[in-house]
Amino acid sequence: MTKLIKHIWPLAIALLLIYVFHHAWGVLPPLGKLLSPFHGYFQNTDAGKAGGGSEITLRGVTDEVVVRYDDNAVPHIFAQNDEDLYFAQGYVIARDRLWQMEFYTLVAAGRLTEVVGGAALEYDRFNRRMGMARSAEAIAERLAADTVAKKVLDAYAAGVNAYIAQLDYKDLPVEYKLLNYAPEPWSPYKSILMLMNMRNTLNGGSNDVRLTHVLAKYGPEVVADLFPNYPAMESPIVPEGTVWDFNPMAVPPVPQEVTVSPDSGLLAFSVPAPRPEVGSNNWAVGGSRSATGLPILANDPHLQLTLPSIWYQMQLSSPSVNVYGVALPGTPAIIIGFNKDVAWGVTNVGSDVMDFYRTRFRDSTCREYWHDGQWKPTTMYVETFTVKGGDELQDTLYYTHQGPVVYHKPSTTGYTDRVPVGYAMRWVTNETDGADVLTFHYLNRAKDYSDYRAALAYFTAPAQNFVFSSNDGDIAITSNGKLPLKWEGQGKYLLDGTLAAHDWQGWIPREQNPAVRNPPRGFVSSANQFPADTTYPYYLDWRFAHASRALRINERLEAMTTATADSLRDLQNDNFNVDARRILPRLLRGLATDDSIRRSAEYDALERWDYRNDADAVGATIFESWLDKLCDAVWADEFPGNEQLLYPSLDRTYQLINHEPDAKWFDNVLTADTVETIDAIICGSFRRTVSALRERFGELSADGWAWSSVKNTRIMHLVPNFTSFGRTGIVNGGGSSIVNATSGTHGPSWRMVVQLDSEWPQAYGLYPGGQSGNPGSVYYDNMIGRWAHGELDTLLFLKTVDEQSPRLRRQVVLKPKK
Amino acid sequence: MLFLFILVAGAVLSYVGPWWVIAPVCFAGCWWLPRHAASAFWQSAGAGALLWVGYSVYLHLATGSGLAAQVAGIFTGGAPFAAGTGGMVLMLVVSALVVALVSGFSGLAGLRMRQLARPGRRRGE
Repeated sequence: MTKLIKHIWPLAIALLLIYVFHHAWGVLPPLGKLLSPFHGYFQNTDAGKAGGGSEITLRGVTDEVVVRYDDNAVPHIFAQNDEDLYFAQGYVIARDRLWQMEFYTLVAAGRLTEVVGGAALEYDRFNRRMGMARSAEAIAERLAADTVAKKVLDAYAAGVNAYIAQLDYKDLPVEYKLLNYAPEPWSPYKSILMLMNMRNTLNGGSNDVRLTHVLAKYGPEVVADLFPNYPAMESPIVPEGTVWDFNPMAVPPVPQEVTVSPDSGLLAFSVPAPRPEVGSNNWAVGGSRSATGLPILANDPHLQLTLPSIWYQMQLSSPSVNVYGVALPGTPAIIIGFNKDVAWGVTNVGSDVMDFYRTRFRDSTCREYWHDGQWKPTTMYVETFTVKGGDELQDTLYYTHQGPVVYHKPSTTGYTDRVPVGYAMRWVTNETDGADVLTFHYLNRAKDYSDYRAALAYFTAPAQNFVFSSNDGDIAITSNGKLPLKWEGQGKYLLDGTLAAHDWQGWIPREQNPAVRNPPRGFVSSANQFPADTTYPYYLDWRFAHASRALRINERLEAMTTATADSLRDLQNDNFNVDARRILPRLLRGLATDDSIRRSAEYDALERWDYRNDADAVGATIFESWLDKLCDAVWADEFPGNEQLLYPSLDRTYQLINHEPDAKWFDNVLTADTVETIDAIICGSFRRTVSALRERFGELSADGWAWSSVKNTRIMHLVPNFTSFGRTGIVNGGGSSIVNATSGTHGPSWRMVVQLDSEWPQAYGLYPGGQSGNPGSVYYDNMIGRWAHGELDTLLFLKTVDEQSPRLRRQVVLKPKK
Repeated sequence: MLFLFILVAGAVLSYVGPWWVIAPVCFAGCWWLPRHAASAFWQSAGAGALLWVGYSVYLHLATGSGLAAQVAGIFTGGAPFAAGTGGMVLMLVVSALVVALVSGFSGLAGLRMRQLARPGRRRGE
C-alpha cells in the first residue's frame, strides 16, 4: 500500500494541477489555457505585417468575394451580389471586432451577468426593465417579413457565424480568454440589439423628474422664467426665416393638468439626465462657398471614446452599390459615408422622446391600472437572468399601453433604491415599426436628393439630423425619425398615466419634420441645437444641446467663400470657446472688483487668454473649471442636489449674469443676514476654483495647468477593469462646448470630410482607435496620435476590384464551398 | 535526450493538441527514458518552461506586441511595476511556473508509474 502511494502521488498531483489550471477560479480565468503561448493570449499578438494573399473556402457565399486590405487595415469588399456582400461584411467585421459586437448585444439585452457575474445584475435588470431586448425581438420578427431587410440581415448573420464556426480557443479575441466565455451564434436579432444600444445612448435621458420637482417647489412662473421653451441665444438647424411649405396638422390642445405632483414618499429617480457630451457636428457647404463649385460635407459624431472603437471603416462594393464609410460593428451597411455621387452624415436630434406616466394600479398585484375612466389589464412578462456559474433569477415586468413600468415596487438593492415606483415609460426606443437598417441600405445606394429623402422614410429612432450633399449640387439637412405629436410642453414634466390627454397623440407627419434644402446662405449644419425656431408648428422639446458649437460653426461657415476639404477639417478642430466670449468679459469685471484677485497670476492668465481651448491653454483650464463652480454658486442654494432639482441651463445663467445682474437668484439664501451681489458670487466661486486647481495641480504653471493635462483625454476599454487596454494622457485641446468636442472621456468618434466631384469624390477621415479590436495588434490604436493632432487620413475609395494602389497590402478571397 | 524529446515532441503536439498536452509528453518521456526522480522532475519542468517561455519570447519579438504587459496590467490592477518589460517578465515567470509544475510532476509520475509497472528494470537507483 505504501509502495502504491509512493508511486501514485506524483500522478495524482499532476492530474490535480492540470485540473486546477484547466478551470476558472472566481475571476481568475483558466491559467493553463491562457498562459500557453500555443493557445492563450500570446496567440493574439499580431504585428499586422502579413502581406500577400490568402483564400478561405466558406459555405454561405455563392460567388467569389475579394477583400482587399489597405495600409490602415481597412477592408475593401468586392462581391458579385448583395447577399455575398453582406455575408462578407459580417465575416470581415467579425474577424476584427467579434468580442466587441457581442458585448454590445449583451449590454442591450441585459445579459452581462452571464459573462461577468452577479455584479452586473442590477445593471442588467435596469436594461431589461427599459424594454430594449423585448423590442429588439419584435423588430427582428417584423423585419423577417421584409424581403430586403431579411436578405441583408440574414446574410450578415451568416457571415458572422461562418467566422465563429472557424474559431478554436486559440483564435478567440483575448477578452473571451480573459473573461472565460465563448461567442454565441449571431442572428438578425443581435444586429437590432446593436442599434438599440445607439437608441439608448442617444435618446435614453430625461430631465422630467428634476423639472417636476422645480415646478412643485417654485411654481409655473419661475419655471417659465428660468426654464423657457426656447433659449436666448440660438442658431437653429433650419435657418431662421425659412418658410414651412406644408399645412400643419392640428396640434392637440394643452390639457388643464400638465403634470402630476411628485410623490413626496418617492425616492429619487435614477434615469440619467441627457448626456451633454454625447452630441455631434455635421455640415455641408454648397458650391457657392466651395473652391471646387461642388458641395463638401463634414461630420463628426461625439460619443464616449472607447477601445475598441465604436466605428469600423470599410468599402462595400457589389453590382448594386459602391460605398465607403464607417459601419457599427454588428450592423450591416455603412452608417456614415459616401459613394460616387452623394455623401451623408448624422448628428443626434435629441428631442423629448422619453416620458414617464404615474400609474395607478388597482391593487398590489399590478394586474390592472386606471386609464381614461376604466381599469385596464397590464401585460406581464417574466425575465430570467442567468448568473455566471449557473444561478438563475427571475423578475416580472409590467407593461401598460404606454410601455414598461420601470420599477413597480420598492426595493433596497442596487438601482431600485434610487428609482421611483409605479411610473410607466413611453420611449421611442421601444417603437417597433420602421426599419432603420433599410435607411442605411438605401442611403448607401443613393444617387441624388430624392433617393436621400426616400431612404430617410424608413428610419424610426434615434432621430438624427441627416446632412446630405450630392454631386449635382444639392445640400440638405433633415431632422429625421419618428417624432411624437405633442401638445406644447407635453412631457416637460412627469405625466399622469390615468389621463388619455397625457398619452402621445400620434406622430408629426414625416415630411413635416424640420428640414431644409439648398438654403440661401449656402450651407447647412447641425450641432444638436434646436432643429427649428419658434415658428415651427410642432412642439419638439423645451431644451436642446447648448448652442455654443452651433453658433461657432455657423459663424465660421458664414465667413467661408472658397472652402476646401481642409477648411472643413480645420473647422472640425476649432477650439474657440464661444461661452468665454459671451460671458468672460463680464466675469473679469466682477473679479476686478477684488484687488487680491486682480493681482493674482490666475486672473492674469485668464485676462490674457484668447478664448481658445488649445492643449496648452492655462486660461481654458481656469475658465472650464470655474464654470461648474460658478453655476453651483448661483444655483446650489435654491436648487440643492439632494432634492433632485434641475439647474437652469447655461444659456439662461449667462443671460442672467450679462443682463439681469440684480436677479434675486444671485443672493445665497443660505446666508440669512447678507445679500450677495453677483460680483461676490463671481469672486467667491473663482477663489474656490483656484484653490481646487492648486490642490490638484500645484501652483499655476504652464505645464501643470495646461488644458490638455487637466482635461486628460483618455480612451478606455469597454470593460472598465481592463485599464491597461486603454490609452490615457492624450494631448489635445477642445471641450464639451467646443466644436472640437473632446472632453476627458467623450469626443469626435469619427471625423469625415467628403469633397464631392462630378467624376470621383475625394474623402478624408479617421477615428480615435484602429480597425482591429485586438489589443495585441498594431491596428488597435494606430489612429489615435493623428486624431489628437487633428489630422485626417486620405480615404482610399476604389473604383473597381482591380484598381491598383500602392496603399493596398493584402487580399483575402472568400470562395464558395462546392 | 529527455530534455530534447520533451522540447521537440511538446512543441509539435502543442500546435495541434490542448494546452496540457505537455503533461503526457513528459509522462511518456520519463517512462521511456527513465532516470533519477530529481532529474525526471527537473528536466521535465525545465523543458516545459523553456518551451513556453521560448515560444512566448519568440512571438513577442516577432510581433513587437506589448500585449503581455497589458495582460499583466489587468491581473495586477495596473500596478506600476507591471508596466512594460516588468509586466512581460512577470507574465513569463507565472507561465513558466504553471507549466513547470505540470510538466515536472507529470515527468515524475511517468517515472514512478513505470517503476510500479516494471519494478525490475530500474536504472540508476
